[in-house]
Amino acid sequence: MFKKFVAKENVSGVTQMKSSAIRGVRAKLIEDYPGLEEFQDVILPKKESYNLVKCHERIEIIAIGGEPVFFRQRDGPYMPTLRLLHKYPTILPWQQVDKGAIRFVLSGANIMCPGLTSAGAKLAPAEEDSIVAIMAEGKTHSLSIGLMKLSSEEIHTVNKGIGIENIHYLNDGLWHMTQIK
Amino acid sequence: MAEPVEDIPVEEPEAEVEVPKKSKKKDKQDRANYPLKVNYCGVCSMPFEYCEYLADYDKCKRWWEEHFPDFFERAMKIGDGVDGEGDDPKKRQKRGGRGVIKAKKQVEKSKISVGRVTRNKKKFVTVVKGLETHGVSLKEAAKLFGRHFSCGSSVSGDEIVIQGDFVEDVMVLLVEKYPEIEEDDIEDIGKQKR
Ligand SMILES: [Zn+2]
Repeated sequence: MFKKFVAKENVSGVTQMKSSAIRGVRAKLIEDYPGLEEFQDVILPKKESYNLVKCHERIEIIAIGGEPVFFRQRDGPYMPTLRLLHKYPTILPWQQVDKGAIRFVLSGANIMCPGLTSAGAKLAPAEEDSIVAIMAEGKTHSLSIGLMKLSSEEIHTVNKGIGIENIHYLNDGLWHMTQIK
Repeated sequence: MAEPVEDIPVEEPEAEVEVPKKSKKKDKQDRANYPLKVNYCGVCSMPFEYCEYLADYDKCKRWWEEHFPDFFERAMKIGDGVDGEGDDPKKRQKRGGRGVIKAKKQVEKSKISVGRVTRNKKKFVTVVKGLETHGVSLKEAAKLFGRHFSCGSSVSGDEIVIQGDFVEDVMVLLVEKYPEIEEDDIEDIGKQKR
């Protein structure tokens, strides 16, 4: 989603969010990510400015206090940015790819089933279409945020093709968008 | 009551930050560990453990040595880098060669030049070039100039054209309004002919 994204070119407008809209987002996020609830006061502070950054291809980024923290595309689910996830890694369920998959994930490739079922990988139960943090064998920090294209069970049984879509990864355009002006 | 600690995919507590064990018990102490502070590399912007996958790894290592000497030492002891992939050559071959990922290049900053162009002998326009390489939005800057000098100001290609002679004022305003622009970044290129 952000492979060729450049903030300077892809942002079409920044608007202040209304408090009713903020309430809606907060409720949706807590519903989607139960792990976020205990941190809601710090991740979604009441007294901060919320900006909605509209970008091309119907991507929306929510920036709190100028910092991009959540994003979504085409009214899909909101997802945390990797920089936020690094601060609160438990807000998403984790899937672990094996070492060999790291470089592919970092170049934006989707995550193939074998990279999730091999010895170095760990596949936790997750539903199709859910949002997960991609961790890696031997690493501490998440390298990508993905969308399950199959359920974990199906990934095991099918074991070929795309298992998780790579939505946002280290070094992509969103990663390099650190502040909203 | 001892809640079972969930299995988490962390195998190297040696890395630059330790992820607190994810436990179902959500007491205050647990929460106090967050937000985690993750150090990012000053060269490639990644968490250190991923530097090895980027093209400028040697530069990254030099940066660690300078800014995080403890981490650098530990990493070097373990071997070349945090974690070589060399232990399983078979796997690597199967998956294709080592595709080195290029770090996003910082746009080379060029000088900002401010000059005057004569329009029919007595009238001037001021032309500002090179702003975009300093991360300044041309559209916004043009608006700012227009508002500030109460005159026409527009973006034309990669430059901003301001109706009137504002060379000095533009230079002062740029330094004032944009913290990322220093006086030395701007040069007065004087009268330009079109
Ligand atoms: Zn680095």
